[in-house]
Amino acid sequence: MKALIVIALLGVVTMMSEVFRFKKLLLPLVVVGLLAACGLAIGDWNTAIRYYSDMVYFDNYSLAFTSLIIVLTLLWLIISKGYFVSDSSRAEHATLILFTLCGGVIMTAYSDLSMFFVGLEILSISLYVLASSNKHDLKSNEAGMKYFLMGSFATGFLLFGMALIYGAAASFNLVKIAEYVQTTAAHGQTPMFVYTGVLLMMVGLMFKVSAAPFHFWAPDVYEGAPTLITAFMATVVKTAAFAAFYRLFSTCFGDISGFWAQTLAVISAVTMLTGNILAVSQTSLKRMLAYSSIAHAGYMLMAIVAMNKISGGAIFLYATAYSLGSLGAFACLHAISKYGDESIENLKGFAADNKIWAGLLGVIVLSLAGIPPVAGFFAKYYIFYGVFQSNFTWLVLVAILSSLIGVYYYFRIIITMVQPRSEKATVLPALTGAHKALLLISALLALGIGIYPAFLQGLLS
Amino acid sequence: MVQFAWLIPMFPLLGFLLIGLLNKRLPVSLSGGIATLMVFLSFIVSAVIFGEVAQDGSVPERVVLFDWISVGDLSIPFSFLIDRLSVIMLMVVTGVGSLIHLYSIGYMHHEQDHPRYFSYLNLFVFFMLLLVLGSNYIVMFVGWEGVGLCSYLLIGFWFKNIDYSNAAKKAFIMNRIGDLGLLLGVFLIYTTFGSVGFREVFESARNFPENSEAITAICLLLFVGAMGKSAQIPLYTWLPDAMAGPTPVSALIHAATMVTAGIYMVVRSNVLYVLSPDASEIVAFVGLATAFFAATIGLKQNDIKKVLAYSTVSQLGYMFVALGVGAYQTALFHVITHAFFKALLFLGAGSVIHAMSGEQDIRRMGGLKKALPITHATFLIGTLAIAGLPPFAGFFSKDEILAKVWEHSPVMFIVLAVTSVLTAVYMLRLYWLTFYGDFRGTENQKHHLHESPATMTMPLVVLAILSTVGGFIGMPEVFHAPHFLNEFLAPVIWKVNHHEASETFEYMLMGISVVLLLLIMFATYNTYVTKKVMPEENDKDLQGFAKLVANKYYVDEIYEAVITKPLNGISSFVYKYIDQGFIDKLVNGTGTSLTGFSGVLRFVQTGNIGGYIFSMVIGIIVILVLTMIL
Repeated sequence: MKALIVIALLGVVTMMSEVFRFKKLLLPLVVVGLLAACGLAIGDWNTAIRYYSDMVYFDNYSLAFTSLIIVLTLLWLIISKGYFVSDSSRAEHATLILFTLCGGVIMTAYSDLSMFFVGLEILSISLYVLASSNKHDLKSNEAGMKYFLMGSFATGFLLFGMALIYGAAASFNLVKIAEYVQTTAAHGQTPMFVYTGVLLMMVGLMFKVSAAPFHFWAPDVYEGAPTLITAFMATVVKTAAFAAFYRLFSTCFGDISGFWAQTLAVISAVTMLTGNILAVSQTSLKRMLAYSSIAHAGYMLMAIVAMNKISGGAIFLYATAYSLGSLGAFACLHAISKYGDESIENLKGFAADNKIWAGLLGVIVLSLAGIPPVAGFFAKYYIFYGVFQSNFTWLVLVAILSSLIGVYYYFRIIITMVQPRSEKATVLPALTGAHKALLLISALLALGIGIYPAFLQGLLS
Repeated sequence: MVQFAWLIPMFPLLGFLLIGLLNKRLPVSLSGGIATLMVFLSFIVSAVIFGEVAQDGSVPERVVLFDWISVGDLSIPFSFLIDRLSVIMLMVVTGVGSLIHLYSIGYMHHEQDHPRYFSYLNLFVFFMLLLVLGSNYIVMFVGWEGVGLCSYLLIGFWFKNIDYSNAAKKAFIMNRIGDLGLLLGVFLIYTTFGSVGFREVFESARNFPENSEAITAICLLLFVGAMGKSAQIPLYTWLPDAMAGPTPVSALIHAATMVTAGIYMVVRSNVLYVLSPDASEIVAFVGLATAFFAATIGLKQNDIKKVLAYSTVSQLGYMFVALGVGAYQTALFHVITHAFFKALLFLGAGSVIHAMSGEQDIRRMGGLKKALPITHATFLIGTLAIAGLPPFAGFFSKDEILAKVWEHSPVMFIVLAVTSVLTAVYMLRLYWLTFYGDFRGTENQKHHLHESPATMTMPLVVLAILSTVGGFIGMPEVFHAPHFLNEFLAPVIWKVNHHEASETFEYMLMGISVVLLLLIMFATYNTYVTKKVMPEENDKDLQGFAKLVANKYYVDEIYEAVITKPLNGISSFVYKYIDQGFIDKLVNGTGTSLTGFSGVLRFVQTGNIGGYIFSMVIGIIVILVLTMIL
């Protein structure tokens, strides 16, 4: 809870920086504030307190995800310095990022559907603006608009779903809803409109995590938004959305999982196949990463399908491994795409110029592809194992096949970067210290988690 | 202090990372120094822990570093076992290891690629320490595979020579065959006992009946692993070829430490082997055959390192005979003394090769006694130790093995006794030909002859001292002196089958072996120094048995004809018709159709919001209809 307050206050303070002219202090302020928030969140470990008549509930699950998204934001800040130092609207950017994060924290910790909705909207509305924050770029404007239109559309379904659930349980409180669902399910008297409500909420959430067939916004928005914002969306926002999704379904609807699990399993399979198959034919690295993030959403949905005692830890491990990998990959993308061309061909000759950094990028790509001994492999392993235990063997098979497709395009990154530079290609901008630092940190963390995955996995099991 | 056991493998790992990552940025002279320092630091920590365990360490202590693999009921911690067996191995590995690192500084100073050499050497020590420290079969297996990898990297250190890199590949592949056996053994252990931790496995094994099928199968599979790593028939042919690596590598990896991993593993699993006399009998038999055959091959080799290599194979055979007859302490005793004197002999040979500017053929040597006084003196001690002259180290351990084998089976004893005669013959032949007589090399070599630098002679002297006094840790019973090693190891050996051997027999054995050895010394001196009989220049001139032996019984050729050729034939058939004809087409077809499919599917992504929302609505309707109605 303290972490949430710190972040919200920080957002307000940064907004003032324009008026009270301390914009130079912006970045240090944000970093120190976030470090403090992270420390406070970790300090609350094992306390599990309910706040404000049970509106938010900071248990270990939400504390773990809160710390994770704060750490990811800090890592993201490494390459986003320019965004807070030179840009003319830097104060607004900082505020919006902090409010997004604030929404994210609420989404990991809500204990009431109204709170969930508030968190989701704080996060989404800030993001709509951030996506179109490159005001002079038509594509960025288009991305923001598209995201806003489709996001509102999906929010409608979510609200419908909530209303139906409220109609049945007469409460927004997760605990009360869970009790209601449990008693009615035990007597086999769950009303039809509860089922409908669950499905409609699922639709709304699936939009947020970009599951097929609600993923269409993702490639366009990811491509149009400024690369840094895309990186933020693909990591911090996606992690928060999954935290909310898993929290809702594991708390409330576990007892009627027979009803929705099969549907979600199919959606998860379709999502990972769509993401991976479409990524194969992309020529833009940014778009490829967008599809890759859709595919990863498919894998993370598997943990919600499995819904057993190891899935909480598994989804946390997966979100960490995936976000670290994506941050590293986006750092590289950001470094090479300064001239506006995001084609994967630009990577040619990358390894010859930057041996060490190409090696680290290789580690990151291996993690995303799920090759041992890097983090991504163990993340997949625990997810698959949980799904296997819940008797969705066919889903595991589909997931393995689709991972094979994934290897194809991930390895294309490695193959391209060791190829000699083509004559036409422009000389790449050199990696800056910030990009190197983020690459190094994310690769080392990916390796570290790969050596000792049980630590993160065990936090929530 | 035991809690700090993780420091022991940490230092060499740190050395590997430091040297490997900084590589050419390190000053040339520094990499050897760092590597040696790291192993020496491990040695100090090992020594402190050894002291503690020796005082009151009858209870093994487990140091858990972290939960490594934990899935379902399978839980494998990354943990170390500190007991009396592992501390002895720690002392041998880090002690002999640091001496050989020191020696390498002098030996390799002509080389360009210092950092690569020393980083591999440090990595090897790291994996070897994992192997002996692991508290379960999986951690041991990690070390086991790691030392195999380092062995491969170091045999092929001069990878530009195609023969050397072929030797490296041969070692690696032969070891893989063994490793497969070991891995299957570990799987079988898990299915039989439900655990892979040493303590749990041995505790539940004690309730099994003798010669139960499962345990015999486990023992045999583990032994297949040992055959590969410790070069026993039929997987021994890689070890002589492994001499392609730098000589200190041969001393460290292919004589003192890695090749004894198989013996360590069997001693560690002694509970299982005690329960399976059938498997033990096979171990003894294979060891005996290896000891004898390798010794006969050693008689006709002319490369100084090859002679030592076959002698290593033969000595390893000895150790397996001891294991097979249930004398686990004795086998470990021989591991220790052998580490001393064989490392000494290899390093001495390295010093000779260094002085001879790379010449390894003993037919081109001779009379080196004067030019290399320290090397000569220490090499002599090594030779006497391996030949088994009291009071040098080899005498005690070898005599103990012979005595134990006599209790088990007189026939085996006779074969092994003949083998030890052969050992003395080929070692003394090597010694006389190298250090006595006239110099037979080129003028250029003669001009260049010099004693090695202090970094090389110092390890020689230390090892020579150890080879002289090392045997006193295990005095024969008849002397009524305490057998330190047996007492020390008692807590880790389950059942010791102890028979009082008759005193007359023991004295007779000692007397005969000393007299025989002196006779052999005299005879070989007469042949090679007085009569100056030289080995034939060309193997083709040899006749009969000598020719067979000089060609190593044509084992390599037989393997080539019986295994490699047919395998190559099958594999090229499969490659052509099944792989290229069928599988490739299938895979490429899948790839092409996937890319095509992907290309078509991307047109769904039109960028038109109306279209997107339309497909979302369709999606929602499909979901609702499917879940609510069906």
